Amino acid sequence: MLWLYLHFPHLVLDHIRRTREDEGALVVVEGSGQKVIQACPDARSQGIRSGMRLKTAISLAPDLGMVRADETQEARILEDQARWLYRYAAHIVLVPPDGLLAEIGSLQKLYGGLPAVWQTVEQGLNERQLNAWIGIGYTPLSARLIARAGKGECTADKGHILRSLSQMPLLAAEFNEKACTRLQRLGLNTLGEVFDLPPGELARRLSPELLAYIQKIQGTRPDPRTPWQPPHSFRQQADFVQEIEHTQGLLFPLQRMLVELEEDLCWRQQDTDSLRLVLKHRHAEPTRLQIRTSGPEHRADHFLNLVRLRLEQHSLSAPVISMVLLVKRFLSREAPSGQDLLGETQDLNEAWHTLISRLQARLGDQALRQLSPQADHRPERAWSASEVLRKTGTPPVPAAELPRRPLWLLKGPQPLTEAPVTWFSGPERISGGWWDGQRVHRDYYIAQLSSGQLAWVFRDAREGWFVHGWFG
Amino acid sequence: MSELLNTLMQDARVWQGHRHTQTTQPAQSTGYQVLDNQLGGLGWPRGALSECLLDAPGIGELHLLLPLMQRVCEEGKSVFWLNPPHTPYAPALAREGVNLDQVVLIHTDNEGDFLWTLENCLRSPVTGLVMAWPGKLASREVRRLQLAAEAGSNVCVLFRERRYAGQNSPAALRLELEPGEQQDLKVNVLKRRGSWPGQRCSLAMAQRADLSFRETTRVVRGPWSGSTG
Repeated sequence: MLWLYLHFPHLVLDHIRRTREDEGALVVVEGSGQKVIQACPDARSQGIRSGMRLKTAISLAPDLGMVRADETQEARILEDQARWLYRYAAHIVLVPPDGLLAEIGSLQKLYGGLPAVWQTVEQGLNERQLNAWIGIGYTPLSARLIARAGKGECTADKGHILRSLSQMPLLAAEFNEKACTRLQRLGLNTLGEVFDLPPGELARRLSPELLAYIQKIQGTRPDPRTPWQPPHSFRQQADFVQEIEHTQGLLFPLQRMLVELEEDLCWRQQDTDSLRLVLKHRHAEPTRLQIRTSGPEHRADHFLNLVRLRLEQHSLSAPVISMVLLVKRFLSREAPSGQDLLGETQDLNEAWHTLISRLQARLGDQALRQLSPQADHRPERAWSASEVLRKTGTPPVPAAELPRRPLWLLKGPQPLTEAPVTWFSGPERISGGWWDGQRVHRDYYIAQLSSGQLAWVFRDAREGWFVHGWFG
Repeated sequence: MSELLNTLMQDARVWQGHRHTQTTQPAQSTGYQVLDNQLGGLGWPRGALSECLLDAPGIGELHLLLPLMQRVCEEGKSVFWLNPPHTPYAPALAREGVNLDQVVLIHTDNEGDFLWTLENCLRSPVTGLVMAWPGKLASREVRRLQLAAEAGSNVCVLFRERRYAGQNSPAALRLELEPGEQQDLKVNVLKRRGSWPGQRCSLAMAQRADLSFRETTRVVRGPWSGSTG
């Protein structure tokens, strides 16, 4: 098996830099905020090194951006990288905190050779503006050592790989300190010299763990790794160095996240109809926004329009320090069907979804209603309003089965304040509701008022007169 | 004639009454032959604003639009009701053959949302008809809606109070609606684009409450006189 190892020297910095519009020197500081752990190339060119005290770094670059190291965040960012790499390679292993391992031996034929695989991965890295050192080896550990030493070359030649491994100094081979001293006392300085010793000698002189480690590098001992499985949800997080106070500022990072969502959905061959946006604040409860489309959707610009509308309505309660985009609901993509020769049906359907989603995003889901008749004798219960979701395509009720009713129904019966001029039909007795406590016992008439309005009036059991509808 | 007047005439920038020609603006038949005749054989203008001015609901104003509603639903387009004053009664609409899947009710809280929603509905190709009850509306906003209506090719009807009849409006068609003596609807054309206003007609609307028979003797006498007099 041939392994490819990606070593990300400053993954957190890359991640944060992507969501920033402005350029500037950035460093990652350790939890206590004393030391610089990672420095971006910009910062390095100003003389900042990892391991430097933060005070020194700030005096070198006064407008330095700082991010505090956070293990869970690092793990999450690493998993984000595994997600895109999974599009190219099936067998991926996470090597926390900053490495990814991919089995590429089986991919050579698919991509047409090792250089093509290499190029594909490099292209993926470039697209995501990531810095990574690539290494190739016949065992996971050898690939890792080569990558971390920055000696990766696009070759599958066993002799070549072994040579570059052999030249590696012991310090670069990630032995623990004790083992390193021990080997040096034996007069060994490079990994090659360790390899040259007969296995029997090694076993006698070294601890079993150390021997196992060396054999794993060489490949004489199996080194099984559990492959990573992609999650069944989409999650992207953007962390901001400077807090964002206006919703406009969220749109730039959001655009990139939505493009990645689109890619992810395309790759899954699925659509979604609801996005969750969580805006985290420093001292307040996170704001949760749910953005829904009226139909399955995958296009980033469509989502962006909806989110923009939603954010215009929503003013931020506190500055935002990070933003998470979550999609958990996936819908299978519909094959375009039922098109006529000019493809108009599909267009209309899509336009309908676009319009309804836009309206819902600005006005809220509750503002849009669809009506339907219900099987009940009581006029106020003979209809219902539901959320507009999709066209249901229910067959219309035959007109002859429905009684004559006014087109306007009042929100509640209004007392009749004047004597009608003319009476027309009636009484129509409607009595029911004894089964659910909403008892109705009324005699309905159609009458004309002096203003010329045709009203649907009733008298109830208590002899009161009410208007319940207008024949509009 | 002065040179200025001549130029204006030659540029055809001044409309001359004697050259009254049939306009070719797109329109939808109202479904009432009598009214269509009064509107130059056209009907509701498409891609323009129409206004119905009336005092109170219940005089047949929805039945005026019902033929168009039915036609729009058959075409598979949507009918939007924006801020209606009462609930459109679903069983009655279903009985009239309106496909309720195509009917969308929208409520907006403020004027900004109202105008925005109306504009969006008008611009969409899925819309067939928009009925809106705007309440107060400055003539500047009517102008904005007129422009939005021109962007699409839908029928948009605003229902407003009759006191706005005196206010000038950029709407292409303005109808004043009044109840008649025989449960009919009297339509007075206040304005229509490309022609003279002032046509009047009366549309029979008694069928909206199944009042095809108009014989007072056969109607059940309400018990009104007994209770309140």
